[in-house]
Amino acid sequence: MEKFFRRNFAGYAFLAPWLIGFFLLALGPIVASLYLSFTKYNIVRPPQWIGLDNYFYMFQFDDRFKKALQVTFTFVVISVPAKLIFALAVAMALDKGVRAIGWYRALFYLPSILGGSIAVAILWRQLFDYNGVINAVVRWFGIDGPYWLSDPRYSLWTLIVLAAWQFGSPMLIFLAGLRAIPNDLYEAAEIDAAGPVRKFFAITVPLLAPVIFFNLVLQMIEAFKSFSGAFVISGGAGAPLDSLLFFTVYLYNEAFQFLRMGYASALAWVLLLIIALFTAIAFWTSKYWVHYENERG
Amino acid sequence: MTDATLSNTSALASQYRTLKLRRARRAGLLKHIFLIITSLIMIYPLLWMLSSSLKPENQIFGDLSLWPATFEWENYWQGWNALPVSFTTFFWNSTVVTVLSVIGNVISCSFAAYAFARLEFSGKTIWFALMMMTLMIPYHVVLIPQYLLFLQLGWVDTYLPLIVPRFLAGDAFFIFLMIQFFRQLPRELDEAAMIDGCSPFKIYWAIIMPLSLPAMATAAIFSFIWTWEDFLGPLVYLNDMKDYTVPLALRMFVSQDSVSQYGPMFAMSILSILPIILFFVVFQRLIIRGIAMSGLK
Amino acid sequence: MSILNRRRFMTGAAGTAGSLAVLAAFGGRAFAQDIAIRHFWWGNPERDKRTFAVIDLYNQKNPGTVVSGESLGFADYFTKLTTQIAGGNMPDVIQQGYGVLFEYIANGAVVPLDDYVGKSLDISKMDESAIQAGTVDGKFYALSIGANSHMAMYNTRLYEEAGIKVGENFDPYGYTYDDLKRIAVEIKNATGVPGTDDNTADYQNFSDFTVQKGANLYNEDGSFGPTQEIVEEYWSIWAGIRDAGGTPPGPESAGLAGVSELSQLGVVTGKSATSYLWSNQLVGAQGLMQDPLGAAMYPNTPEMIPGSVIQPSQFVCLSRDSSNPEAATAYMSAFVNDPEMTAVLGLERGIPSNSDVRAALQSSLTPPEAVSVAFFDAIQGKTAPLTAPPPSGSAEVEQTFERVAVSVLLGERSIPEVASDFLAQAKAILARA
Repeated sequence: MEKFFRRNFAGYAFLAPWLIGFFLLALGPIVASLYLSFTKYNIVRPPQWIGLDNYFYMFQFDDRFKKALQVTFTFVVISVPAKLIFALAVAMALDKGVRAIGWYRALFYLPSILGGSIAVAILWRQLFDYNGVINAVVRWFGIDGPYWLSDPRYSLWTLIVLAAWQFGSPMLIFLAGLRAIPNDLYEAAEIDAAGPVRKFFAITVPLLAPVIFFNLVLQMIEAFKSFSGAFVISGGAGAPLDSLLFFTVYLYNEAFQFLRMGYASALAWVLLLIIALFTAIAFWTSKYWVHYENERG
Repeated sequence: MTDATLSNTSALASQYRTLKLRRARRAGLLKHIFLIITSLIMIYPLLWMLSSSLKPENQIFGDLSLWPATFEWENYWQGWNALPVSFTTFFWNSTVVTVLSVIGNVISCSFAAYAFARLEFSGKTIWFALMMMTLMIPYHVVLIPQYLLFLQLGWVDTYLPLIVPRFLAGDAFFIFLMIQFFRQLPRELDEAAMIDGCSPFKIYWAIIMPLSLPAMATAAIFSFIWTWEDFLGPLVYLNDMKDYTVPLALRMFVSQDSVSQYGPMFAMSILSILPIILFFVVFQRLIIRGIAMSGLK
Repeated sequence: MSILNRRRFMTGAAGTAGSLAVLAAFGGRAFAQDIAIRHFWWGNPERDKRTFAVIDLYNQKNPGTVVSGESLGFADYFTKLTTQIAGGNMPDVIQQGYGVLFEYIANGAVVPLDDYVGKSLDISKMDESAIQAGTVDGKFYALSIGANSHMAMYNTRLYEEAGIKVGENFDPYGYTYDDLKRIAVEIKNATGVPGTDDNTADYQNFSDFTVQKGANLYNEDGSFGPTQEIVEEYWSIWAGIRDAGGTPPGPESAGLAGVSELSQLGVVTGKSATSYLWSNQLVGAQGLMQDPLGAAMYPNTPEMIPGSVIQPSQFVCLSRDSSNPEAATAYMSAFVNDPEMTAVLGLERGIPSNSDVRAALQSSLTPPEAVSVAFFDAIQGKTAPLTAPPPSGSAEVEQTFERVAVSVLLGERSIPEVASDFLAQAKAILARA
């Protein structure tokens, strides 16, 4: 018993703040939302237990739920890799030997600061307008640009560009990760006359793997939950023709616009399970490509 | 060694050096072109906001040029005092909440991360999975249960709901981020210190933390930005305008059914991102190559 | 599990946290002996200044009561109110709009005022129509603080350049969709700017049109009023104007479906010469542009059956959670009657419903305010009676209309096909609600 205590004491002592916070502040609301997902709850009246009805309705009748899933999946699959590749490229360009590097970094972080504000919504409308800046550039190449924001075939792309454009946080994490790679490894590689491509795949990628993995998992979770950009740009309801109906935008409308908190909670739990599934897959594959340099055996 | 071979090698060496230099220069030029073009795209929204903040109201949306015809510096003064409470108060409130949150996040999350990354204790996997789960649940469905919880605690209309969770490692993003960085540090250090009789706390404080400066700086930057910009938390928990934070105040400028003040809103938006940029530029200096690390390898 | 009500369930979840409640002492606020009344509204800098000034006035005049104001932007107001309903700590006096008021009444979040009328609450000077508008099932719930109607706002410079003159070839209070088509095309030809926004996806215009065709938006039994013919005709009329070049191209308008941001209106951005809004938004829209705006009613059919209604834009209501309804209603009463207080508020929330207050304000109007007042005088007698309050689910029907109309604008599907699709969805929504 004493041995058990001693073995676990340090771990639980360091974990204590999180445990307290989890049990006192986080767990209750999460369990409450699970309970609410089995109820009909319009916020004003007490919730009514209706069993699995919300889930039945969702999978049997709700076409917008399916549409929301489709939009969200497309967004995740395209925007996450695009954002990560861009973030890594910029991080590597900024890693060394650039003057005024601090300001460069701040500059590249700027778009992320603007987030999903009203200003971004207005700006995006101006940029992607039929007579806007983007089409002016496209016209320069002799192409007649589309109606980006109102054509359901293209509108999601404006959000994907927005997501990739706000690449600041993975970039910063990549930078911190690159800084943790010992310089002498590169020097040693140079003596072996390794080119930049080889250096990238032989040194950077394996040593950066834990950070790449982190960014991949987190950006994926964030993309699944992505809300504010789609919300402000689509006018709050996923227009045009639900092509910007992100899962959380749908969920918000159900909860706060139509006061179906019970149904919204059920939607949230389905999303949670989907995210959990993908995260679990990511963790499982990480065994094969993420090696923690110092945790041999 | 004969003179011939000597001159031969030195010629080879100088050839190699010029080749390397030329290659570096070409790479440098490409890098700079890439950086400059990217920065132009990055800075455009800021220029646009700056120009909007200097235009008279009736020209912001009709006139698309970036250079204002007249400079309305008035917008800044007006914006600062537009609401019944001046922006001095909002900036002060935001500063208090943000600084406390940054401190709380860095301390409490690094505790939890140290436990997960370096200590052995039973139940670790389950706690880790639960921690990841808190990242996955869409915020909008826990909003109301959380509000009821804080109401029960009597915390509504105070800053406590915004700050206390930060001291209880409420944001799993940072825990996971730090775990990934801690796992990159050489285990030999802990093991050596353990043999020397160091307590886990001593190891955390004297070895892990100093070596993780880049990760801590990254976490501090993110937590500053995200808290500074957070608006849903303040929206729900703060009732008195004297307690409002900057983002909440900014959302009061635009009205559906009466005069809006876009000029002053853009002016205040510009001012509101200055502290972020400042904090960013100062703290990003800490994202440096870990000195100890390359030495130890 | 079903007998567990929300409150008890949440208390259980929160109970474990009791030990931490001691921390709350740090953040607690001292409560004075005075009666505290909280007033919550959505606003903007101007409205906030005026309302806080009014609150100060009231507090000076009424020692013993301390009113405190809370304000948020419109977009955030209802999110917060929803949270507070769940928490059972709504402010005493809350602001409501016409569209959502009935949901709140039906849900019991807003309580009747009948017990206070003639005592703490004086409504003797209120317009009868305003009182009617705040009455549901014979109970009086909501105090109107400004009247509103549908308004077509047009760019007078572009109209003049195209030779469109009020009184000669344009009657702002009695023109048909055919007239609009002619005017819009003339403006397009003369100035290059399309004469009007495309209202294919505008639900407010559609609801007007339904009434103009002699139908109700919602029938007595709560079912949806518009028929397949009405929906098809509405979209065909706008398609006619669009095809003649009187509106911006369809895809352009599709991007604005459901967007309520004032700065994105065609008349503000210069992409068209006419936009359609609520009359109390005229002052705001004018503030964003240089050319002066004129006001007109929505277009009509040749039969000229009135379609627009005059309805309160905003109400003040007493919330379920008020602990001192007498003091709260006394404050509400002063808010609409007190000459000093109403003078400070002005027309900022719309045309006041109290006749004395209206008369007193006449002398101090700004130009756009004067346009609003003239518009209101002109539409008297040309509007439809207020109909029964919309059933719950109506907000979702509105959103659905805005969504499906986009396929008409993009020309993806035929009008009859989209119309029957819309009606089927509306029916399903109302059945579910």
